[in-house]
Amino acid sequence: MRPQRFNFAPWLFLAPFLGVFAVFTIWPLLRSFVLALQQTYGPGTTAWVGLRNFRFLATDPLFWTAAFNTLQYTLGSLLIQLPVALGLALLLNRRGLRGRGVLRLTFFAPSLVGLPFVAMLFAPIFEKRTGLLNASLHWFFPLWDPEFAWMSEYVMSALILAALWIYAGFNMVYFLAALQNVPGELLEAAAMDGAGPWQRFRHVILPEIAPVAGFVTLLSTIGSFQMFELSYILLNNGPGPENRGLTVMMYLYQTGFLTGDLGYASAIGWVLALTLMGIALFQRRLARRYENR
Amino acid sequence: MKSLRERFTRFLSPGALVILILAIASIVTALVLPRTETKGIPFWVSAQPHYESYRPIVAEWNARHPDRAINLMLIHGHALERRMLTGFLAGTPVADLVEPNSSTAAKGFAGPLESVGYYDLTERIQAEGLLDRINAPSFAPFTTRGRIFGLPHDVHPVLLAYRADLVEAAGIDVSTIETWDDYFRVMSPLMRDRDGDGRPDRYLLEAWDANAIATIILLQQADGQLLDGDRPTVNLPRNAYILARLVTWFTGPKRVCIDINQDSAIGHRQRLEGQVIGCLLPDWRAGQWKRENPGLGGKLKLMPLPAWEKGGRRTSVFGGTMLAINRRTEHFETCWEFAKELYLSPRLAEQMFRETNIISPVKELWASSFYDEPDPYFSGQPSGRLYIGQAPHVPVRTSSPYYAYALQAVCNVLAELRAFADRTRTYDVSTLQAEAQRLLDREQRRTEREIERNVFLQADS
Repeated sequence: MRPQRFNFAPWLFLAPFLGVFAVFTIWPLLRSFVLALQQTYGPGTTAWVGLRNFRFLATDPLFWTAAFNTLQYTLGSLLIQLPVALGLALLLNRRGLRGRGVLRLTFFAPSLVGLPFVAMLFAPIFEKRTGLLNASLHWFFPLWDPEFAWMSEYVMSALILAALWIYAGFNMVYFLAALQNVPGELLEAAAMDGAGPWQRFRHVILPEIAPVAGFVTLLSTIGSFQMFELSYILLNNGPGPENRGLTVMMYLYQTGFLTGDLGYASAIGWVLALTLMGIALFQRRLARRYENR
Repeated sequence: MKSLRERFTRFLSPGALVILILAIASIVTALVLPRTETKGIPFWVSAQPHYESYRPIVAEWNARHPDRAINLMLIHGHALERRMLTGFLAGTPVADLVEPNSSTAAKGFAGPLESVGYYDLTERIQAEGLLDRINAPSFAPFTTRGRIFGLPHDVHPVLLAYRADLVEAAGIDVSTIETWDDYFRVMSPLMRDRDGDGRPDRYLLEAWDANAIATIILLQQADGQLLDGDRPTVNLPRNAYILARLVTWFTGPKRVCIDINQDSAIGHRQRLEGQVIGCLLPDWRAGQWKRENPGLGGKLKLMPLPAWEKGGRRTSVFGGTMLAINRRTEHFETCWEFAKELYLSPRLAEQMFRETNIISPVKELWASSFYDEPDPYFSGQPSGRLYIGQAPHVPVRTSSPYYAYALQAVCNVLAELRAFADRTRTYDVSTLQAEAQRLLDREQRRTEREIERNVFLQADS
């Protein structure tokens, strides 16, 4: 029997990725954990502080403000964005709908624009007095205060609205793909059994699209937890009055690159990474339980 | 005998072979591409107007000193900050000469004194008498723990620019204005609601709790303070008093301020429409307005800021830039000679004033006649002379990497205080001051805690 030759090809093709992954992901990850246990002023000037960065983080009011804001944004995004995306997908999935292609492009188009551009676009829209949103609302509802301070007192609402514009169409595409894979015979059978539109949605469509819905929820949660550019640009490079627009990522950036404390920033990064890991595991567990039912 | 192709395809498919060849070709091409060599001592500048005014002087220097040429480079402010700090921290290349603004400069002071990336110029500045020649408060943003790390480029006093066309049309005489109370009283007829929508058509001052620039300008004018060296002084009673007064300007029955976007086209449009009468205007912003909002030309006049109390300070300060020398430079003497020639140059002072409205910090140049020329943008007033008149009185600032943190803390208190006033319908200064003090005490503790975390600063102090 001829001895089996070692196949170089897969390793050769994987080598560039593995090299880049090791240098730019694994090594920084390990290094950032070491950094989280230090206070630094450049690699030449470091002081070992042990778990002090994490202890400080646990009682840092700014971190908790950022965490609360991020959670608020994430929940707002999920509870508004995903139903809207699903609604749009259901709308586009209707039989005999005319202009489906144009509508799909229209809803999806905002996500083709980068987040920084969206932020710059929404900044004048949310302005007091002169902003399109306040001016329109005042026009339709004269009692609406044209000085309604979106960008100083209702920062999270403004961010959720801006994010809705970008991501609703993007998530809609996932839902639409899932809806198009729902077997027609199941729906027909349900209809023949006398199921109304709501019952068909509740008992046929929803279980069928559940894996995709779970995936979209997870992606949106991770994306929302990592939100940075939108608030950073919309709030003119700062956290906004009373830190109302401060997110965990923005705090990490401020600490690492404005205050120059890379050690503390690494600690924040690790807490964020572990939180996201926990959410991902929890979501997977939920999904499995749902699938096994 | 197997062909070469067969030998290779034993391990790799033809497609894989093509990818491999392309990868090798790309690497070789990248390696052999010619590198653009820059000649001369690098000098990073981030402000376009500065770059334009330095070019002729650098060209002259290079003609006189071909062996010690300066390579002037314009790079974006964010890029300058990142590259400079990364260079200081990690040893990557940084220009021998850099021109950071005051907030960027302060970020270089976070570590121990011996690790600061700028050259310590204290002895040179003292020995060569520059402390007497240059306006003293201008050194403050570039000084940490008693050491000076840069030559100041400017003074940046703040005056009040007001809509002279509207004020004069209303028959208002501004000569009697000495304090902010006088200003709001004298100008109050301009706040009438002419279109009957229940709101004033104009407000008297551009300032708001979300406008950190206006807040810090007014706080510093009133001798409020955020830090004393690296020690936070956020909860000074004076700060609480000023914040309380400001809230009564922003909300309630005596509201006189409006929130206008600082640098946007919308903001310029609102100013042009006369939605605001007075703005806090540092000299550099006057130059910026001339470029960005020429329509205001001939409609504005300048006056010293109204004081907080009679006999009080009539100006404030905002912004600032320094010329620093990289600690690792091998050409210190050339850099130092060039820095002095550039910043002390009468020619630069004139060019800078004409192009940017920025006045020089060099006191002996303040008598120059170009500062007395009538400025059509400010209705023929000699804007240079008016700014110089206040230059010696600008408040002394503190340079600290925690300045931004402390400023944010104070701005947060201001926003909370305004919300408190609106919620409780409390608009009297003494009640607001008590609440401001409580909130500032909380922020003081937080700022102290944040600074105490920096083991390097603690060790130095």
